[in-house]
Amino acid sequence: MNTKTRMLNRKNNELDQKLNKENSIVMTDMVCYLRVANISEYHQEMVRQDLLQMVLSAQQRSAYIKEVIGEDYKAFCDEVIAALPPISPKERFLDFADIILRCIAILGVINIIISKEMFELIRNAVTGQTLDYQLSISVGTLLSTAVIVAAASFIVHFIGRHSFDTQTTKSKSSLRENIMVGSVSGGLTAVILLLMLFAKQTLFTVNIFIACLFILGIYVAHKILQNRRL
Amino acid sequence: MIPSQMLKGTLENCILKVISKQETYGYEISQQLQEYGFTDIAEGTIYPLLLRLEKNGYITAEYRESALGPKRKYFSITPAGEKELETFIANWRELECAVNQVFHIGGKEDEH
Repeated sequence: MNTKTRMLNRKNNELDQKLNKENSIVMTDMVCYLRVANISEYHQEMVRQDLLQMVLSAQQRSAYIKEVIGEDYKAFCDEVIAALPPISPKERFLDFADIILRCIAILGVINIIISKEMFELIRNAVTGQTLDYQLSISVGTLLSTAVIVAAASFIVHFIGRHSFDTQTTKSKSSLRENIMVGSVSGGLTAVILLLMLFAKQTLFTVNIFIACLFILGIYVAHKILQNRRL
Repeated sequence: MIPSQMLKGTLENCILKVISKQETYGYEISQQLQEYGFTDIAEGTIYPLLLRLEKNGYITAEYRESALGPKRKYFSITPAGEKELETFIANWRELECAVNQVFHIGGKEDEH
């Protein structure tokens, strides 16, 4: 998210606080749906601003949101998305790369902080023993990072694509979807834990400072990709 | 020749005509269209059309403070929008003339 989009996002977050409960629920569903649409982040925020002003005006007139948007929120959002310029496949790929780089940077920092080498390094530093700056990267760490990134991406897209389902579908299908999401989440957690526990064989070792520099490089690449956006 | 897109764009051009009269905002446009006989035209119905008009460069939009409440997005027509409106009116008259001819001739034939 570049500076212009971030400022608009902040303003929209403030406006969002003024919505009543009913309108807030509908707005959240619409924004979730727009978030995974093939439009730029700036256009997402621009539409969000327009909708917020529209709904707040209606709220002031004591009009229901259905009187403004219509009964079918999904159809409305589809029309809005169709009226906006789509992002190119190249832009879509760069957006995806940006998300992946951000996730890797965050998970990389977490992995370094919770690694046993880091605990040993701190303990040795406190007790005055020889410091070992080598960090071992296991197969489990790499695989679990990949699984977490893929799962997070899937969950975000699933929630966005199905944001209107709770309103439009019957409780039976909602229950089925909740069971499915629960099973997938539970299964993924189990896979991640198993990978971390049993795939402990070291793939390679790296100096902790070089690992930090590598993560910093990934973070800088993410920021460059983030700021290129409209 | 009457473009097929014209049929789809009728409401879009009616919105453009309303904006051409004076700078206005979404809710006011929907109210005016209702007064002209477009029943059940909500602000949300015209919003995607306003986005498309803006994307095509026929209108420009600007947020302004409102004394009565939240900010309002005011729309004004551009020279390209005025040109588009002229084209639409010419096409509409051509269509109207053709339809009238068909119904007029049809009417005469029915009388025979």
